[in-house]
Amino acid sequence: MADFILNLAVIIIMIAIALGVYRLVKGPTVVDRIIAIDLLTLVSIALIALIAHITSRFIYIDVALVYGLLSFLSVLAVARYLERGL
Amino acid sequence: MMTLLTLMLCIGILISALLATYLERRVAAVVSAGLVGLFASVTYVILSAPDVAMTEAAIGSGITTVIFLYALSKTREQPVRQIEDEADD
Repeated sequence: MADFILNLAVIIIMIAIALGVYRLVKGPTVVDRIIAIDLLTLVSIALIALIAHITSRFIYIDVALVYGLLSFLSVLAVARYLERGL
Repeated sequence: MMTLLTLMLCIGILISALLATYLERRVAAVVSAGLVGLFASVTYVILSAPDVAMTEAAIGSGITTVIFLYALSKTREQPVRQIEDEADD
């Protein structure tokens, strides 16, 4: 049962990645693409945490932690650039 | 399941690298180049190299995007074709 739920979570995350990449390719404006990349960052953090649970190596959680901090900085820099220049 | 996931992440790396080449607006191209680092980082975690993944997340996707945007704010935002036309004139 637990394996079924973990496989289902991986499949849901794969669908989310596919939808995010679709919006990244299709998106007419720049803001659509940046929001899609922010979505892909969040989905990837969830995926790293899920991989840490599946493989039972909890050192992988640190990667998700570092990525969460740095992606916030990156999206903040992009938003500030779009508004009035860095 | 993990093989399928790795394959999908590698396709994502390919798509975002092609987008970084073909997009007109430079901001979207820079952020799309940062997405290559994101997918590569997750792939490194799947290949059980968390230290490489941490370095890739810090440098390849975090710092590079900020430095590129800082350099872009020092230049003009202009499509590539207009610069080529001005060079012809």
